[in-house]
Order: sequence, then C-alpha cells, then structure tokens
Amino acid sequence: MELAFNIAQCVAWAPGLESQQDWELWQSGKKDISNELGLPQLKAIPPMQRRRLSPFAKVTLHCALEASNHFQGDLPCVFSSRHGDLHRTSELIEDVVEGNDLSPTRFGLSVHNAVSGLYSIYTKNHAPISAVSFGDASFLSGLVDAVVKLHAHNLSEILYVYSDLKVPECYAEYVAQDISIGTGILIKAVSKNDHQFSLECLPNDATESQGCQALEFMHFFLGKNMSWESKINQQTWKMKRN
Amino acid sequence: MSDLIYEIKELIIDALDLEDITPEDIQDEDPLFVDGLGLDSIDALELGIAIKKAYGIKLDGNSEESKKHFYSVKSLHDFVQNVRVTG
Repeated sequence: MELAFNIAQCVAWAPGLESQQDWELWQSGKKDISNELGLPQLKAIPPMQRRRLSPFAKVTLHCALEASNHFQGDLPCVFSSRHGDLHRTSELIEDVVEGNDLSPTRFGLSVHNAVSGLYSIYTKNHAPISAVSFGDASFLSGLVDAVVKLHAHNLSEILYVYSDLKVPECYAEYVAQDISIGTGILIKAVSKNDHQFSLECLPNDATESQGCQALEFMHFFLGKNMSWESKINQQTWKMKRN
Repeated sequence: MSDLIYEIKELIIDALDLEDITPEDIQDEDPLFVDGLGLDSIDALELGIAIKKAYGIKLDGNSEESKKHFYSVKSLHDFVQNVRVTG
C-alpha cells in the first residue's frame, strides 16, 4: 500500500544552512554544514514570549512558522524529535543533583510537547497536535505518522516539524548521529492522480543502516533521485518521487 | 537609585531573561505584572526562586501577602530590606 501526498513547502535549518539557497548549494555539493549553529531571529514572536525560547525552541518554531507561511488558525501538526530540548532537561537534572530549586520556566518548557504548545498558542491553533519520538528513526517515523494522519483523517493538510540539536557534551559518546537540524514540511492531500510523493513500507529489511534521516531526506527532496529508502527499526520505508 | 533597588532590577532582568531591558527601563513603583513590565504567573514563580537564592527569603507564590510584595520593585525592595532588618 502506498500513501500518496504532496509537499507544499519544505524548509530546514542547520549550522551554516539557513536559507533555501544555502540548502540548494549544499545539495549540489557546493556548501557544507558548518560547526556553528546560528539562531533564527523569530521577529514575528513578541519579545516577552521570545525571551523564553531556547535554541532548540527557536529552530523548531522557525521551521514550523516558515513551512506554514506563518498561518494563524487550525492546522493539524506532528512534531518529532529524538532528544527534545535535552540541553534544558540536563540543566534541570544538574540542579536536582546539586539540590538547587528548579526553574519553573525551564521545567515547563523542557517537556516533549513544549514547543508544539508554544506554537499552538502563538498561532491560535486548536487542531490536534502530537509530539513524537522514535530513537534515531525519529525523522522518518514522524513523517510516516503525519502522512498516515493525513490519510486516516482525510485532512487537506498537516504540518510536520522535526528538530534535534547536538546533544550536551556529557551525552555525546552515546549518540552516533549527532547533528543539529530542524525541518518543517507542509504536507497536502493529493487530488486525483497528481501526487508528487508516496511512502510505502517494503516487506524486507534489505536497506543497511543509515546516516541522519533528516539530512538524507533534504538531499532527496532537493535533488532528482526518484526514491529514498530508510528504516524504522526493522521496517524499510521507501519514499518515491512521482 | 539605591543599591538594593538597582540590585533587584538586575535580579529581575537576569532571572526572567529580559534581554532587551536595562535597570533604567524599570520604574520603581510601576506594577511588575500584567500592566507595567508585563510579567506573568511563571515569572512570579521564577522570581520567587531568584529571591530565595539571592537573599535567603522564602516567598509563598500564592498568598495575598506575597502579591503585595511582588507588586513593584519598590515593594520588593521594602520587603527584602524589612526582612533583613528584622531577621
């Protein structure tokens, strides 16, 4: 079974790769990811709200807002991240260890659905939003989740946002794919047979383990290859360009 | 501006990540919450912790008494000074 869909808008943010042009240069091998993560300005968010945004929240919100063209109102969403705001979480853990009082702001904004909550408040979005995580397959499983929701609920569109930042140093040795990247994808339902993309689960697990799924996806999306395969545990998923 | 007034303004700016605001921007007697500086309930909790950390004073976030102390920089200043004097 193939799940067809269109992509109306796709944006991404990574160190040194911020604009559409940056990403196109990267795709054609003319630009590399840098070491220093810049942060989006997020001028649209009022300063009193913006002040509480961590780097993770800023990258995530930027991708959500740009992919949806700053749409205000109801738009179903799936937010995915492997680690969530791990920098905030580990600061809290350090405070616990040292016996300090926990910062209510950090605590409230460290939960996995914190950024999707901020996004929904800012855009007055009352549609269902989920925040998911699936190890190193978090990008692909979130994408599958969004496309499945599009079909299962007959939605006209759904916003998919994936983000992860390089983990704090104390965790670095446990993480193989440690890249800071955010992506925002506005997925639309197909009308008749005009679909751009489709996803299907292959019966075997022939594909070998992979690199960073979000980067691989961007490479596929911006390029001309007809398909991209990646895995969620033992399942191989194939994304095809029509 | 007295030293303690200035110190409290810096504490507020620091604890609440008010990046674009300087101590000079905060009026001593203006309300901190809703109107005036525009802080919210999470800020109240955060500020309570910052004051406990800086001055060793515990403020109950929900009591009417605390609300009075949290009203402005001036009221916080008077409260901190009072506790310091009376112990």
